[in-house]
Amino acid sequence: MYRNILLARSNIRKAKGQTAAIIVLVLLSSLMMNLWLMLSMDYRKNFERCHDRLNDGHVNIAAYVTDDEFKNFISDTLEERTDITDYTVSDAFCEPMSFEYNGGEISQLGVLLEKEDALSRNVGRFEITEDSTYKSGIYLPMLYGTGNNYSVGDTVKITLLGEDFEYTVCGFFNSAMNGSHNCGMMALLLTEDKFNEFSEEAAALKSVYVSARVNDISKCEEIATELKDETAKEFPDVVVTSNDYKLVSTSRYISQMICAGILSAMAFLVLLIGVVVIASNIANYIQENMQNLGALKAVGYTSGQLVSALLAQFAGVSAIAAVIGTVLSYCVFPAVNEMMIAQTGIPYSVRFQPLPVLFTIIFITGIVSAAVYFSAKKIKKIEPITAMRQGISTHNFKKNHLPLEKTSLPINAALAMKTTLSGLKQNITVCVTMLVLSLVLVFSATSFRNTIVDFQPMVEMIAGEFADSAINVNPNREDELVSVLENDSRVEKFYMFTNNNMEVQHVDGLSLFVSVVGDCSKMNNQSMFIEGRYPKYGNEFSIAAKYAKDNDIKIGDEIALKVGNSEEKYIVSGFTQCSNNLGKDCVITREGYEKISSLPNVTYYIDFAEDIDIDDFNSELSDRFGSDVNAIQNIQSILESTGGVYVMLMTFLVIAIVIISCIVIIFVMYLLVRTMLNNKKRDYGILKALGYTTTQLVVQTAMSFMPSVIISSAVGIAVSMRLINPLMAVFLSGIGVVKGTFIIPVELCIISGIVLVIFAFGAACLMSLRVKKIAPRELLIGE
Amino acid sequence: MKNTLIKTERLSKSFSSGGAMQHVLKNIDLELYKGDFTVIMGASGAGKSTLLYALSGMDTPTLGKITFGDKVITDLSSDGLALFRKEHCGFVFQQIYLIDTMSVLDNVLAAGLLVSKDKKALATRARELFKAVDIPEETINKFPTQISGGQAQRAGIVRALINSPEILFADEPTGALNSKSGLDVLDTLTSFNEQGQSVVMVTHDMRSARRGNRILYLKDGIVMGECDLGKYTPNNEERHKKLSEFLTRMGW
Repeated sequence: MYRNILLARSNIRKAKGQTAAIIVLVLLSSLMMNLWLMLSMDYRKNFERCHDRLNDGHVNIAAYVTDDEFKNFISDTLEERTDITDYTVSDAFCEPMSFEYNGGEISQLGVLLEKEDALSRNVGRFEITEDSTYKSGIYLPMLYGTGNNYSVGDTVKITLLGEDFEYTVCGFFNSAMNGSHNCGMMALLLTEDKFNEFSEEAAALKSVYVSARVNDISKCEEIATELKDETAKEFPDVVVTSNDYKLVSTSRYISQMICAGILSAMAFLVLLIGVVVIASNIANYIQENMQNLGALKAVGYTSGQLVSALLAQFAGVSAIAAVIGTVLSYCVFPAVNEMMIAQTGIPYSVRFQPLPVLFTIIFITGIVSAAVYFSAKKIKKIEPITAMRQGISTHNFKKNHLPLEKTSLPINAALAMKTTLSGLKQNITVCVTMLVLSLVLVFSATSFRNTIVDFQPMVEMIAGEFADSAINVNPNREDELVSVLENDSRVEKFYMFTNNNMEVQHVDGLSLFVSVVGDCSKMNNQSMFIEGRYPKYGNEFSIAAKYAKDNDIKIGDEIALKVGNSEEKYIVSGFTQCSNNLGKDCVITREGYEKISSLPNVTYYIDFAEDIDIDDFNSELSDRFGSDVNAIQNIQSILESTGGVYVMLMTFLVIAIVIISCIVIIFVMYLLVRTMLNNKKRDYGILKALGYTTTQLVVQTAMSFMPSVIISSAVGIAVSMRLINPLMAVFLSGIGVVKGTFIIPVELCIISGIVLVIFAFGAACLMSLRVKKIAPRELLIGE
Repeated sequence: MKNTLIKTERLSKSFSSGGAMQHVLKNIDLELYKGDFTVIMGASGAGKSTLLYALSGMDTPTLGKITFGDKVITDLSSDGLALFRKEHCGFVFQQIYLIDTMSVLDNVLAAGLLVSKDKKALATRARELFKAVDIPEETINKFPTQISGGQAQRAGIVRALINSPEILFADEPTGALNSKSGLDVLDTLTSFNEQGQSVVMVTHDMRSARRGNRILYLKDGIVMGECDLGKYTPNNEERHKKLSEFLTRMGW
């Protein structure tokens, strides 16, 4: 053992630069792997901990009714069910509301609760995370107190029922199931005086808000559907909305899921590069040290001992690098945590997690050890006498690649190509590196194009339909609204698109959020219909692809849908994609919906000509329709505010990926060039003696990498452009995405590829400057 | 009247060794002439190869000046020296130093294509030179490890001559060869010199030295003396005797 360590130490001393480069690659991989594991394991569990601590409900229901008969009914129903373990019923106001956030606007179904009542709820308790001396006002979810948003003492203007209400921010609270705009229903806590004031002033529809805990979390979606179904049977006119554990726990962690997915992919890709580099290094080591290895065998070392020495060297170095990487991941994690909190809205305290650390170190060391073992196995084939006699010159040069007499290439290019064609190991390492980096660059370019430059494609892929503005009015004013919109020159297009928390139930299935559309051909996001077509007729509907896949529903199938006690059969005309409800959506025509229910109100989506002030237009409509306006939204503003978090996250990830790619290229090039200069030091000396300048040799060296760099980058970019959307679908499958619909920025990808090649060439040139140190006089052998 | 090809003035070269300076060449003033076959002799450590590498621009002197024609090469940068070498010099090394990953022909063309872009003309000249050094056509596409040491060294001479250098430097060209191969190499060098090629050869082998018309003897970094042997003719006992006496005088 000690002998092996001595050999390993001697090897490391001889190759300090190579060891440092391998450390950097392994370190980067372990840093990202540990971050990924922390985000995937404990970070996700933080939601469970928060949920348990607050004894929050697994199913929350808001019913737009307050009479005792309903309360008794719901209490009895919950008591009778054996799958409900506990519940709390509270009075609340449930209304669509909006307020300014993150430079834009948040629009969500709001659940307004009285603060003290909310804090004392048995199930679905709220906790104050920041309090103040202000006694009258509002408590906001803590999410809105992060970044440059609201602070205690600020005034927040909330639009409810078409009216503006201004409240002083008294503090912030935490709630697992209602603490962000990703929860389906978002709570706001009013102090007692403001709650009563709102009750009197707004003539708001009071609601019952129920939080129930179940004994089997996996059934929470079904239980929510059954509860709504039972309610509909008894109270067919009562509108009921809900959220459940699965919906909230997933949608609050979308950014965590994206970030963890990217980190895991990057960790494995960088590790793959590291392993290829290590394998290539070992092959070179054996080639360079053939005579020494033969000599060691001659003095009695066994092949196993020599392989063990290499294992000790590389596995030891990798284990140390993995430890450093995991330590560094804890330095990076607070910044990542800050970004995540801006989306999850649930506080998380960074703490040491032994399991991810152990897994990272053991996994990386194990993979490296396996690579070392398989690469070093050829030591067993080395016969001591053969190795000592022939050493490196045991090469069998079967072919003189690119004879200079016949090639039309300039001499420097021709010599570079000769090196390329005779360097299989070098080419494999370059190809693997460039293929991997091409993929991550295409991912970065695509993310840059579809989120940072223009958020619309991201919206189209995950958020469903969008427009400039949306107005929801009572049905009695619909004709007037249509007339106004038709005659306003600022309006470019408008169409009926009603989806304010309305649901239909798939008979024998789950509740599906429904979008009722006047004319689907007018919708802006046609890419939402990913297969088949949108519904045209009253007997058609299109259903979320994920739900269809999970329930084996095919285009052309006839499916029964119901609202309350009305039931009707519809033909599936196509599949849609939208992550708002984790892939439990459907789109139906107005004619189709009205077969089973009437619309309580209607929403029109409006697009404007360029340079129209949306807020001004909305104000005009609001003034005109007064109390008949239930909600009016500046959708672009909402997209800006909610998208801001994702844009920030993607910006961070793209920058990180580009930096990591640069580091990887530099270190891989360093290792390859160093190996080449060591192997061909004599040849470089000869060429210098013949009159080749340092510049020529530097360019020759860098050029020798270029064929594999260019070919693998071109192939990598081309293949990655085809792969990126399917990969996106895999990444985002958890939120209902089954088909990636990102715009592939072909020009940007090609430019990225060209930049990658130029950077690789530059890095290779830079590393090849060591050629300068090789002097022809080194060929002089004694006097 | 001989034409001076290379002139050195107070040429010195020192190396730092274990903290102490080792003066390998000391104030050498020397002129090398066009068309000569100059042989530099001396004991091991006398500075023969150091002088050769300094004269050829392969190494830079510590002090002094080297003029090639009317060009001072001691003022040149390392890339300038590389350009100078490719334009004016050819080299034959003791250890041959052909590039193992290239065929014999490619080794020659790699040097030739530095100067000329005319591949066809270069390949023709290379074949003529191979023929002149008695390397058959079927050998020139082999790799250096697949041919004999003598053939490899003669291929090295072809490489050195492909650009028609004004001067050919040879550092112990027979040092790594057996007797027969060594003789072939010397015959080749002599033959080219007879055609007007200037040659400077370092050797400590008297048999090799006999091929030169001018013998310089180096001792402790100083040119101790020189001997004019006149034109080489085979089996010339008088030349042999003259060289022996000169070397005896020098303390050989």
